[in-house]
This record gives sequence, structure tokens and C-alpha cells, in this order.
Amino acid sequence: MKLSKNFTNPLAANNPVIVQILGICSALAVTVKLEPALVMGLSVTFVCAFSNLIMSLLRNGLPSRIRIIVQLVVIATLVIVVDQVLRAYMYDVSKQLSVYVGLIITNCIVMGRVEAFALGNKPWDSFVDGLANGLGYAFILVLVAFFRELFGSGTLFGFDVLARFGYTNNALMLFPPMALIIIGCIIWVHRSINKDLQEK
Amino acid sequence: MAINKNSNVYIITYTVVMVVIVGALLATLATWLKPKQDANVLNEQKVSIMKAFGEADANFDEVVTMGRVAGGKFTTIDKSNAQDVQAVFDLLGNRKELGEAKDNLPIFKFEKDGASKYVLPIVGKGLWGDIWGYVSLYVVDGKLKISGIVMDHAGETPGLGAEITTPGVQGAFADKVLYDAKGEFAVRMQKGGAQNEHQVDAITGGTKTCDGVNDMLEISITKYKSFLDTLTAAVAEDTTAAEDAATVEEQPAAEENNNVEPENKEE
Repeated sequence: MKLSKNFTNPLAANNPVIVQILGICSALAVTVKLEPALVMGLSVTFVCAFSNLIMSLLRNGLPSRIRIIVQLVVIATLVIVVDQVLRAYMYDVSKQLSVYVGLIITNCIVMGRVEAFALGNKPWDSFVDGLANGLGYAFILVLVAFFRELFGSGTLFGFDVLARFGYTNNALMLFPPMALIIIGCIIWVHRSINKDLQEK
Repeated sequence: MAINKNSNVYIITYTVVMVVIVGALLATLATWLKPKQDANVLNEQKVSIMKAFGEADANFDEVVTMGRVAGGKFTTIDKSNAQDVQAVFDLLGNRKELGEAKDNLPIFKFEKDGASKYVLPIVGKGLWGDIWGYVSLYVVDGKLKISGIVMDHAGETPGLGAEITTPGVQGAFADKVLYDAKGEFAVRMQKGGAQNEHQVDAITGGTKTCDGVNDMLEISITKYKSFLDTLTAAVAEDTTAAEDAATVEEQPAAEENNNVEPENKEE
């Protein structure tokens, strides 16, 4: 029971982006198109899940004084793996994501989960927690990118959707502030459904 | 046996072991993926060049003649010489060096239906970072014109300067005449809209990037000026000759590795 709650919680009720407001920077930067947003979401999911797993495996022998350094080394290694693999097998997407793949290292969600969860829990639980948090992040990214690509370029995954109805692209959707506004709207909808999240 | 996990010996050993493992892992991965990554970069260069020619579906290796322009003369590069070919692509990949190169400049030639097009690499600075690409030139009615252009950028603003990568903006360069009546370089992205056969509409909100594109085109193309002048003259002469004599026989190139293009055309 606990495991499934670990998994579903970060997807909605405790979503890292719209509840904890983490990882906003990259959410603004890579959500102009769906494809890079999806790849970015999956990359963060991979890094988050495996950094949680590895740190959880290492947690008993870890010297607490260099805890953060070890975390960074593990996360950075995984990010470099993702970056190298993308460059080799998804060259176009890796070009669109440019520096933001490297910046996964600084994504607060990843280190936040390692520090808050993986260091105190068993490997499998930690892996699921990382996976769920990554997917929660990926879900919001894809949702934002869906609206931005649809109304900004009239396409979805590069296929014409609105253009055939004579839709004029709204360039405002392509600017970073629009991602912030869309995330704001998602938070608004989310909080009006989950009333316990509303601040008194 | 209790180990003191906060002792210096433990921490140093831990760090050393960790770094060695991680280093070995990443080095192996990078070595293993390098050929694939290099192939991607090379392929992208070739596809961009073919796009500039307007022949995106054609195979670069089969239809394009690679060359260098030195002292205003076109020298063919033997494609079976992997070292020379690699040197050209390495130069294309190194934007700083390419921008500073003064002579022995890379050039690509593509022939179709008896007409030749030449692609030149272009590099410059946009608002936030490097911009680069390939421009394809040809001679029509004695005038040197742009046949196609492909541009890319490192970090221009999406929706504004980054629009230089869109087919809309790049397509507008087609058939623009390079030099005006005075022989001065005249192609530019013009704020307020194109006024003549040389100008292209600038991008609203992307003025700095458009200025960068203007400089990039002028500086990069001017390096090839003496070759382009010879080419224009040769093609013009060729056309006149073709009108005079009904048949023009093409003579085989004397030396494969050193055939001087414009002169060959004068027969």
C-alpha cells in the first residue's frame, strides 16, 4: 500500500512542480515544443529514479560529511550519461534541449528527493519515489508544452493541427513568461480541486 | 568491527574509489558513443549543405563536388582522400577558425542540367551568440544570385531572432541579387520591408539578429569575391559563346586534383 502511495502521491497531490514549485526554470525553457519537453521529462525521470536508487544503496556506507558531494557526483554522472546518449541517438532533440540537459544537475527535484527520501529509505522504495517524482515533473512539462505548441505554433509533435483551420499562431505562447502563466493556471485548477492545499 | 565513517582516511578512500569508478564509467561511455556522435555532426553538415542547394533528398556523397578556393581559384578535393575531406568538415565544425580563415576556403559545387551552384559556409554573430549556415549561389543572366540559404543559431530568442531557422525567412532569400550596379554587396535584411531585388524583409523584434545576418553574409561571401567575379565573368562568357556556336564541347579536366573551375568553363 505504501509503495503505491509513494508512486501516486508525486503525480498529483504532491506534484514537485505545481505543489512544491520545484524545477520551474527548465519548465519555462524547454516547453515550447512537445518533443523536447517529453524527452526532458523522461531524462529527469531517469536521473531522478537512478540517483535515488544509487544513493539509497550507498546510504549506509556514506560519510555524512561529504554527503552532498557524493550526491552531486552521482547525479552529474547520470546527467552526463543522458546527455551523451541523447547526442548519439537523438541528435536533433539534444540540440533543442542544449544546455538544459546539463542543468538537470541543478534541478531541485533530483537533489531534493535524494536528500529527503533516498538517504532514509530502502532502494526499491527510493527508486519508485524517484520515478514518480520524475514522472510528475514530466507530466507538467508535457501539459505546458501541449498548450504552448498547440497555440504558439499550431502543431502537436510537429504535425499541423490548428493551421488547417486558418489559425494564426500566437507568438506570445512561445515566450517564457507564457509558460509561467500556464503553470499558474494549472496550479489554480489543481488547488481548486484539492482544497486541502489552499492556504488559509 | 566498527568503521569510523567520518575519519579522514575513510572519507579520502571513499572519494578516491568513487571518482575512479565514475571516471572509468564515463570515459568508457564517451569512447563508445563518440563515433555515433561524430557521424551525427557530419551528417548534419551534409544535410544542411544539401538543403542550401535546395536538394534536401539528394545524397551529398554522390552529387556534390568538394573544393577549396585559394587565391580566387577553385581547387577540387579528391573525395577518396579521407584526410582532406575530414579537414574540410573539421573546419566547418570549428566556427571560430572558419570565421578567421582568409584563404583556402571550403566550397561545394553541385551541377544539375548543365548549371552549377556553389555553396559557401557562412559564420557570424547574432544577438546572443554565434549564427552560421550555408548559402548557395548561382549565376543567372550574368547576375550572381542566392539560390538558397540555411541558417542556424546558438541561442537567439525563440519567436524573434531564432526565426532565421524557419523556411519562411530562409525562403525569402531565394533569387536575391548579390551585388548592385556599383558592384557593392547589397543583400541585407531590411527593416521596414524589402525595397529592391537585393533586400529581404527583416524580422520584427529580431533587428539585432538580422544585423548579424547581414554582417555574416557580407563578410563571409566577400572572402570569395575574386572567385565569384571570375565565375560570373566565365558564365557570362560561356553563355555568349553558347549563343555564337551551337555546340560547345566540354573538355575533360586536365588534372583531377587541380582543375580550375572558372577557366574550364571558358572553352
